[in-house]
Amino acid sequence: MFFHIVLERNMQLHPRHFGRNLRDNIVAKLMKDVEGTCSGRHGFVVAITGIENIGKGLIRDGTGFVSFPVKYQCVVFRPFKGEILEAVVTMVNKMGFFAEAGPVQIFVSNHLIPDDMEFQSGDMPNYTTSDGSVKIQKDSEVRLKIIGTRVDATEIFCIGTIKDDFLGVINDPAAA
Amino acid sequence: MPRRGGDEDDDDLEPEEEGYFEEDEPGQLYDEDEEEEEEEVDRRGSSRKRPRSAFIDDVAEEDDEEYEDSDEDYGGGGGGGGGGRDKRKKTRKSGQEFFELEAQVDSDEEEEEEEGEDDFIDNGGADLPDDDGGRRIHRRPLLPREDEQEDVEALERRIQARYARSSHAEYDEETTDVDQQALLPSVRDPKLWMVKCAIGREREAVVCLMQKSIDKGSELQIRSAVALDHLKNYIYIEADKEAHVKEACKGLRNIFSQKVMLVPIREMTDVLSVESKSIDLSRDTWVRMKIGTYKGDLAKVVDVDNVRQRVTVKLIPRIDLQALASKLEGREVVKKKAFVPPPRFMNIDEARELHIRVERRRDPMTGDYFENIGGMMFKDGFLYKTVSMKSISSQNIKPTFDELEKFRKPGENGESDMASLSTLFANRKKGHFVKGDAVIVIKGDLKNLKGWVEKVEEENVHIRPEMKGLPKTLAVNEKELCKYFEPGNHVKVVSGTQEGATGMVVKVEQHVLIILSDTTKEHIRVFADDVVESSEVTSGVTRIGDYELHDLVLLDNMSFGVIIRVESEAFQVLKGVPDRPEVALVKLREIKCKIDKKNSVQDRYKNTVAAKDVVRIIEGPCKGKQGPVEHIHRGILFIYDRHHLEHAGFICAKAHCCVIVGGSRGNGDRNGDSYSRFANLRTPPRIPQSPKRFSRGGHPMDSGGRHSHRGGRGGHDGLVGTTVKVRQGPFKGYRGRVVEVKGSLVRVELESQMKVVTVDRNFISDNVVVSTPYRDAPRYGSGSETPMHPSRTPLHPYMTPMRDPGATPIHDGMRTPMRDRAWNPYTPMSPPRDNWEDGNPGSWGTSPQYQPGSPPSRAYEAPTPGSGWASTPGGNYSEAGTPRDSSSAYGGDNEGPYFMPDILVNVRRSGEDSVVGNVREVLPDGSCRIVLGSSGNGETITVLPNEMDVVVPRKNDKIKIMAGVLRGATGKLIGVDGSDGIVKVDDTLDVKILDLVLLAKLAQP
Repeated sequence: MFFHIVLERNMQLHPRHFGRNLRDNIVAKLMKDVEGTCSGRHGFVVAITGIENIGKGLIRDGTGFVSFPVKYQCVVFRPFKGEILEAVVTMVNKMGFFAEAGPVQIFVSNHLIPDDMEFQSGDMPNYTTSDGSVKIQKDSEVRLKIIGTRVDATEIFCIGTIKDDFLGVINDPAAA
Repeated sequence: MPRRGGDEDDDDLEPEEEGYFEEDEPGQLYDEDEEEEEEEVDRRGSSRKRPRSAFIDDVAEEDDEEYEDSDEDYGGGGGGGGGGRDKRKKTRKSGQEFFELEAQVDSDEEEEEEEGEDDFIDNGGADLPDDDGGRRIHRRPLLPREDEQEDVEALERRIQARYARSSHAEYDEETTDVDQQALLPSVRDPKLWMVKCAIGREREAVVCLMQKSIDKGSELQIRSAVALDHLKNYIYIEADKEAHVKEACKGLRNIFSQKVMLVPIREMTDVLSVESKSIDLSRDTWVRMKIGTYKGDLAKVVDVDNVRQRVTVKLIPRIDLQALASKLEGREVVKKKAFVPPPRFMNIDEARELHIRVERRRDPMTGDYFENIGGMMFKDGFLYKTVSMKSISSQNIKPTFDELEKFRKPGENGESDMASLSTLFANRKKGHFVKGDAVIVIKGDLKNLKGWVEKVEEENVHIRPEMKGLPKTLAVNEKELCKYFEPGNHVKVVSGTQEGATGMVVKVEQHVLIILSDTTKEHIRVFADDVVESSEVTSGVTRIGDYELHDLVLLDNMSFGVIIRVESEAFQVLKGVPDRPEVALVKLREIKCKIDKKNSVQDRYKNTVAAKDVVRIIEGPCKGKQGPVEHIHRGILFIYDRHHLEHAGFICAKAHCCVIVGGSRGNGDRNGDSYSRFANLRTPPRIPQSPKRFSRGGHPMDSGGRHSHRGGRGGHDGLVGTTVKVRQGPFKGYRGRVVEVKGSLVRVELESQMKVVTVDRNFISDNVVVSTPYRDAPRYGSGSETPMHPSRTPLHPYMTPMRDPGATPIHDGMRTPMRDRAWNPYTPMSPPRDNWEDGNPGSWGTSPQYQPGSPPSRAYEAPTPGSGWASTPGGNYSEAGTPRDSSSAYGGDNEGPYFMPDILVNVRRSGEDSVVGNVREVLPDGSCRIVLGSSGNGETITVLPNEMDVVVPRKNDKIKIMAGVLRGATGKLIGVDGSDGIVKVDDTLDVKILDLVLLAKLAQP
């Protein structure tokens, strides 16, 4: 799920960046530092949309670096248990398949794939229904439900299921 | 066995009679209440003599029965009919048969009275005189006992129904606690007395008492007598007074009534409470066989007969059909004890093919059909076997998945069997639930109720139910509970083979969870009982000994690889073979060491790649993969790609098949630097960054030769790259270039041996003062470096006044030259090497302008020859210069210093005659420690080079070569030709012509 929230961060800036462009420098550095990171609480920071305010800088003893408290608005993406997501399949193997929804990697175990879909190994491993009408392979787009998440320091890993109503392949570029 | 078949038919027709035969069986009467027993006897109202004999017979037969049980189990026949019985047993039996038969007749008589059926009596009567026939008759009730147990059970039920109305109805199990309380003994009730009796005769004693009470009727004032199986040597008698007890025991030789002890009221209930042990065994419990062919096999309880202490279990048969066929045909079967047939489901068709008779019969109790082969019952391929409770163990049975899988196989409907997994937990270890665990009730009224553990007591677990409208907490027996997980839970395995692994629950199949392991991304099957919920991420064991998961290790055979998996006793190592992933399973001892070097290589475009840099593979099987470099060794990169599922995400690739993505992290600018963007700009990776990277002479980027060498020295130890000489230790005398400085150790690349050795820093001298002239040194030939001489300018020494030893003698003496350079602001401008190379006497010789500088240095060199200088190798320029002086003694040949250990020198001291001495050690400043006396036993002195000269060898002297490629070699001077000597080198036995000046007489050891 996406959220638009306000976060705060202390930015340390080298004295060489002081000057007219100070604010720009801070923002540029903030974007560089923050966008794409992941925290367990908020999830992935997708984009910074605005700066609320930049506080007064404080010179650090000994280094000359100045730290500015920066409040910024950003869009974060955090997967939740039970959430329905659309994701792109990145890899298929006999244990299931991996899909990605933006920065989030989701594994769908073969236990959580409908029983009528079977694994077909080969050059392009895939899961196919017995009548061959539905096929999940690399680059397929699937709709899935997240049933569990694991949050590491730098990534969020989810397991999902497509064993439910209205879940499964929504678009298969390979077929088109 | 036609006869037998007929009997069975009879049995089927007349189950009642059969049943009454069975009534004579052991246990049954005993295990019923004493009271009931008495009652029954009373009811029968038969003669006094006969029942007694019946009882005695029972006792006797029970022993026999037990023996039989075990024998059956051992033989594996499962009551396989008479064919397998050995003779010994038959004979043993025959004596007792009379008792048995008598008893049978007795009961039959009763039967007759009651039911009026006499078929059997006729049979029995007819057979009685005939010994042979009698045996057969006897066998008949025994055999069907296995097969037709249900008949017995039916009978029992009828008996139960019959007596249900009678007095012991009050012991109904449904009684509440309050009712039970009311039944507790009080002071007004008869007391319980403990009486000693002969060991092993407890039952007999009680039976005697019973007989006595029957005989005497109300005369005997005791109420009851009890013998407990677990209590030897004592029986209990219930009576109002002690005198009654004594009276009753009078005349019974088994009972010693001298001492009668009163059981306190409080303990009375304990005496008669039933041990809970046997209750454990219920249907669907998993047990293991203790003895016989099936020893150790998993079995499932199908039926429990607590009264007779027998259980019917379901087993996977271990039957050798061939042997069975021949046995049933009456052929001799060779008993091979060692051979135990493998467990296999019984295939009825197969049996029929072997002409084994298969009967299909309906079980009267359950209505199920069983296939009967040779007395064994099969259903769905399983063997149903009735065994004594003693021959199975039910404690701590932990069936493996394999076993369970097998048990499930033919049933097809896995559900019911999987559900029975719940019984697995019947005997799990204690203390297994903790507060907060999510649990589900698996048995009883509350089945499928979910909740959370609130409190754990001994046996009971208090749970907070999920459902509303229920009491706040419920106490549930822990055996009725199972941990509950939902897909998506993150769990850790706390016991079993997968202990320590963590993962997310993918699927819950009753009590089995399928977990997706965090590290291996593989599925693991575990019992719900073995896991706990946890947010921790581990892979189970991650290290053995010094080696941890993802370490780069050197293997025994000099190959190397990354540990990608740690198993219980071995590692899986992805070997450093770039073309294809090669995984080896290695034991701890096969690993030589951990490779912990931090080095860097170049990628395809000659960019420097260090550990943690992100690279993309552009060639080979893993083309397109991308990830941070975890290890680098011998030009091979180990890249970690989280999308790569095999080999724990590690990919092995050649460095030049990869390109670096983004900037290099190796520069250390990334972290902690606030303007990292600039850092990236600043680090065009083609520019050499780290001085360390250029420490190797062979570095292709090192086009600047010595200059870049020096330039990079700034933050690093200046010693690196310098040419030094080892002056102590096993490599004493060798020259080489410093490759690396590690604390007090220096790694030196030897010039003569093509190898890198590690020496103590104090053991090197880096002004190379006593080395041979550079032009002779092999490094010139290598061409990898530009000769230093041409780059030198004569004026140079004056440009760096600080370097002038005369001006700042202390300064120089205290400091190493490279230090100097680091501090000297001028050094980066001027070719620093040259500056320093001035220390080389060889070069001094060609820079006459320096000469004026040296004389003052003499002044301070003289007072303390060799004392203080040794500690400042290379710092002493003035001394370094001196050898040139002495070398001039040889005709200005400018062949520099060549003193080396083990040569003879003439020491000239002022005012003294020259003395022959033996050079022991060449000090870094060029002076030598010399042992005086040609034999090397005089005093040791330190002599400056200009105070000594080499003893010129004569023909046939042993010599040592002091310069040139053969420096250090010994040989024999076999001839002198003018200024040249003809030398036969010891090592190679080559004959060389060398300048005599380069030869010194070898000191004789």
